[in-house]
Amino acid sequence: MNTNASEIVRVDNVRKVYSDNGVPVDALRGINMTVLPGDFSVIAGPSGSGKTTLLNIVGTLDKPTEGAVYLDGEDVASKTRRQLADIRLRKIGFVFQAYNLNPVLSALENVEFTMMLRGIDAAERKRKSLALLEELGIGELARKRPNEMSGGQQQRVAIARAISNDPRLVLADEPTANLDSDTAVKLLELMEKLNHEDGITFVFSSHDPQVIGRAHRLLILKDGQIVDDKVNV
Amino acid sequence: MLGRIAWRNVLRNKRRSFILISSIVVGVVALVLTEGFAVGMLQQMLTNQIGTDAGYVQIHKRGYQSDPTLENSMTDPGPVRRLLEKDSTVLDYSERLRVYGLISSAYNSYGVSIVGIVPNEESRITTISKDVTKGTYLSGKPGQILISTSMAEKLKVGLGDKVVIMASQKDGSIGSEACRVAGMFETLNSGFDQSHVYIPIQTARQMLNASGLVSEFVINPKHLHEMNKVVSLIRRSIQALSGASDRNEVLTYEQMLPLLVAQLELYKQALYLIAVLIAFALIFGIIDTMLMSVMERTHEFGVSMAVGMSHGRMFMMVMTEALFLAIAGTAIGLAVSYVVMSQLSHTGWDLSMFSASLRSLGVGSVIYPVIQTSSVIQTVLIIPIAALLGAVYPAMKAVRLQPVEAIRAS
Repeated sequence: MNTNASEIVRVDNVRKVYSDNGVPVDALRGINMTVLPGDFSVIAGPSGSGKTTLLNIVGTLDKPTEGAVYLDGEDVASKTRRQLADIRLRKIGFVFQAYNLNPVLSALENVEFTMMLRGIDAAERKRKSLALLEELGIGELARKRPNEMSGGQQQRVAIARAISNDPRLVLADEPTANLDSDTAVKLLELMEKLNHEDGITFVFSSHDPQVIGRAHRLLILKDGQIVDDKVNV
Repeated sequence: MLGRIAWRNVLRNKRRSFILISSIVVGVVALVLTEGFAVGMLQQMLTNQIGTDAGYVQIHKRGYQSDPTLENSMTDPGPVRRLLEKDSTVLDYSERLRVYGLISSAYNSYGVSIVGIVPNEESRITTISKDVTKGTYLSGKPGQILISTSMAEKLKVGLGDKVVIMASQKDGSIGSEACRVAGMFETLNSGFDQSHVYIPIQTARQMLNASGLVSEFVINPKHLHEMNKVVSLIRRSIQALSGASDRNEVLTYEQMLPLLVAQLELYKQALYLIAVLIAFALIFGIIDTMLMSVMERTHEFGVSMAVGMSHGRMFMMVMTEALFLAIAGTAIGLAVSYVVMSQLSHTGWDLSMFSASLRSLGVGSVIYPVIQTSSVIQTVLIIPIAALLGAVYPAMKAVRLQPVEAIRAS
């Protein structure tokens, strides 16, 4: 399969079947999609439509039952677990619904964590992490642990962590689901700013109208299939 | 940073870490104390044996050690005596004429080792003069005898009573002497007490018709830490002295008491087994704790994998946590052991309630534990290795997690 050189992600005819007590369940049924640099895409759909499954497959956290996923033109199916971990480290940033910060690390250390995994020296990662936290408006929380921060603040730290390694793509799974609407709006504005000013590519899975309303491209998923794909919504 | 995370994870569930560290502390203390007391007891046995009878070095006629008879005693001890007089490395020496014989009273007879001694020399070499509990030590006057209190009870004799000692002379005839009990002794070894009597060496020579005969010279070197050097010096001098027909040999206490020395070594080896058993118990404790810790943090491991943490790093993190627990437990355990051992090495552990059993082993009723550098090194190595072995399975469990399933875990 040829891929366009500019494509970050290409998903080709991906099918995912789960076994539910021995009964096969089709989570994704022949998905085709691409992600281009600078995208601010939202995969929307009702609960159980396969949004998170698709995001997990794009993020190499899960493998498709059939079909192929290309990241920067490379088929990820042939990669080992170690290679996939390295791909995630270098190319993908994750923002989760439940923030998922390491509870024993401070905000600064959580951001530093992925840079540490890349082997960036301590002084450089500290400098960059502080700058990111400042940019996201939570510089004063650098020394705080997750349990000392609000949900919105934790999600900002999670975004800082996701972009700390300058990824090609940030995958955000229901990032506003646990936040109140004001906080959610501020967070979305922040991600839009990162997209506009820094050119960071975002792919969201969400059924939050506030997220959907900001999408440049909207993919509607229903029963494991893309039923609508709107650009410049 | 990985180390920092591991350490914070250790502190995260304080109660669990405390319980595991406590169990390591108990293991370490048990290991060090067991070894300290066992080695202390065996060393006391050895030291008592040296102090009561054997001394540190002895000179015999070659062959006496395996066949301690009058035929194998030194007929011309003069040159050896002169050599020892001059030798600056020798602190004290004593000569003895020792023979196996019989001691009899009106009531009973017993086989004993009859030791002819030069009383003032012997008092500088062994503790026998200090072990006299009734009467007096030998003054050197002929016809005196020093027996143990237990022997006196068996013979039903008291101070000043007469006993008869007899032994074979060189020509096979029986020599005998009537002696009066001058004093009674009690050493830390009940077996020794029941098998040894002391008489002045002139009385022994007279009884055995063996003028000038010496069975052994017992030597205490000036500096014990230089014993090997002293022994080799004496050996060289003795070899230079000896004629072809009367070769003497110089023996250290290790050569004279091979069973006791072997027992000490054997026990030290056996302690490795105890260490391994304690380590095994710890391994299971570590497996349990680390497994609980990994299972509780499944979600966290999933997130770490999602953000790009490699399996190798994840494995290392779990191993590091176990290592930290082991290091903390070992350090505290060693500190506690040091405090306990420092105190007990001065005051000793009073086991008077077992004094009869301990005396039969040649140990005093107070045991002084000995801090063994080897046991500290062994503990410092074995406990962390046990912790790492115990952490392998939980670490593998963490590594085998699938990111998606791990993230879904609550």
